[in-house]
Amino acid sequence: MSAARPRGPLALLAAALTLWAPSVKGVHGRAQDIQDDLGRPFPLPSRTPERIVSMAPNVTEILFALGLGGRVVGVTRFCDFPPETASIRRIGGLVDPNIEVIQSLDPDLVIAFRGNPLRLVGRIRKLGLPVFVLDIGEGLDSLLPLIARIGRVTRTEARAAALAAGLRHRLGAVDKATREIASRPKVFVLLYGQGLWTCGGESYVDDLIGRAGGMNVASSLPKKWALYKRERILEDDPDVIFILARSSGDFAAGRDWLLRKAGVPGVSAMRSGRIYEVDENAASRFGPRLVDVLEQMAALLHPERSGGRP
Amino acid sequence: MSRKTGRRVFWIACIVLCLAGFLVSILTGPVRTTPGDLLRFIQEPDRVQAAIFIDLRLARAVLAFLVGAALALSGAILQGYFRNPMADPFVVGVSSGASLGAVVAAALGFEAAAFGFSGPGLLAFLSGLGIVSLVYALSLRRGGSKVETFLLTGIAAGALASALTSFFLFMRSDSYDQAVFWLLGSFQLAEWGQAAAIAPWIVLCLLGSVWLGRDMDLLALGDETAQALGSPVRRVRKAFLAMSALLAALAVAVSGIIGFVGLVVPHWVRILIGPGHRVLFVASALAGGTFLLYCDLLARNILPAELPIGVITAAVGAPFFLYLLHKKR
Repeated sequence: MSAARPRGPLALLAAALTLWAPSVKGVHGRAQDIQDDLGRPFPLPSRTPERIVSMAPNVTEILFALGLGGRVVGVTRFCDFPPETASIRRIGGLVDPNIEVIQSLDPDLVIAFRGNPLRLVGRIRKLGLPVFVLDIGEGLDSLLPLIARIGRVTRTEARAAALAAGLRHRLGAVDKATREIASRPKVFVLLYGQGLWTCGGESYVDDLIGRAGGMNVASSLPKKWALYKRERILEDDPDVIFILARSSGDFAAGRDWLLRKAGVPGVSAMRSGRIYEVDENAASRFGPRLVDVLEQMAALLHPERSGGRP
Repeated sequence: MSRKTGRRVFWIACIVLCLAGFLVSILTGPVRTTPGDLLRFIQEPDRVQAAIFIDLRLARAVLAFLVGAALALSGAILQGYFRNPMADPFVVGVSSGASLGAVVAAALGFEAAAFGFSGPGLLAFLSGLGIVSLVYALSLRRGGSKVETFLLTGIAAGALASALTSFFLFMRSDSYDQAVFWLLGSFQLAEWGQAAAIAPWIVLCLLGSVWLGRDMDLLALGDETAQALGSPVRRVRKAFLAMSALLAALAVAVSGIIGFVGLVVPHWVRILIGPGHRVLFVASALAGGTFLLYCDLLARNILPAELPIGVITAAVGAPFFLYLLHKKR
């Protein structure tokens, strides 16, 4: 700021102008532009939008966590959390939302997410609807900024800050508990369904495992999701297996498949029985429940550190 | 039924079906609307309904009609050009070339829009025309202007372009919806800008092909005979080839690859009204547009999620085509 010293009066004038400007021409009430994650200018609403369409399950979840559930008028067919979403109008899926349905809901805010085809988002914008596009970050660290962004665009900044503070506190507790662990168990994540699908290094699940004090064996794969090879599992010999399952029935079926048919017998985790269920629904949505999943994983990987709480 | 009555029935049926198709298109969609809603909207327009009726449904119907007309006309021209009933816009490589351009553009994140086309649409258009020019140049070098050489060169170039397309799609596994769009076609993102961008060219090509229709009739007798009868064969052939390539590339650029329309519609029309090319061209355009209008209606209404339109054109077109073909024999 040393450069400002010789121009003291000028700086003062500038400051005065800045203070004065909002009162001119009612700029105070007028929309101010922010940018969405595509870098497109977006007029910031002056108050909380009344009719919000969410184009992704995690956005829906965050909107509800911010107390905006009553203002959500459209969600995707994958939005099933919290259960109150069941009665909200469906706009279609992530890659095939129906533009006509969105238009008919007459929204004053549409929140899109990466995963929605950009061409489609562009088409909705051309109808004159206010579309705010959010990008997913690389790891868990981008969850809090995401919540802050949604809080900003829905003008619930204070609630978003409180939500983020609570989550930050819990993340800190897990980080502290796993900071000085002696050994990091090797973890294989199974997405139960067809074959040995797992999460690669670009998935935030990889980040979850790392922060929970484990080591994802598929971490070196430069992909989000990948089909893992049998011989590599045998070679990696994971100590723990997490099965992402929709229900305990699915989990049992997945464990059964792994033990009998997957063709990877004798892996450490199978001998020790350290095969655990992780809620696929919570783990696959980039929302607040990821912190629940993190706590659960940390407890399963290091029971001694978290007081044996599963 | 005499050919004359047959023709009259064809024209009346086509026009009635076409108008009815537009009306049904405007009235149906995932949001329930009644004819009463439409009448009320015409009396006092409101913003949301204007977007649904005009910006979404009508724009889509118009674009589907234009693309259907372009593909059918392109097919009619190529079948006459090659004197071969198997010819369609795919055979000369336009479609594969265009989809390659689109997929490469999408993979490289090329988004600059111009002339009413999206970035991939623009590149689709250019690469579609590029492939045809290449095929044409290659076949001129080797075998004079032999039709077989041209067809085979087109098929080979098309296969190469398809392979490259698949490669790019495979490398970017997150662009699945893009892949479905470009390989099976869709009007989901139809907008007025696209219709306005392609309409003038389609009209020009239609007029041009009708104007040269008699020359195409002469070509059916063989190039030498046509030449002897005073038709400037080489120039006529070039003009027709350029028009058919332009039409197919325009269609792919706005809607992805939609198969079967260009192959089948001209056959239907020929069976119903005879082989005279002037009438055949106009009738093919009208019938192709109407056909695609109805296919799009099915694509967006029979399931909760939209079907790619290429699935419908083949599923509806093939059985009807077989029926007509065998009834005729």
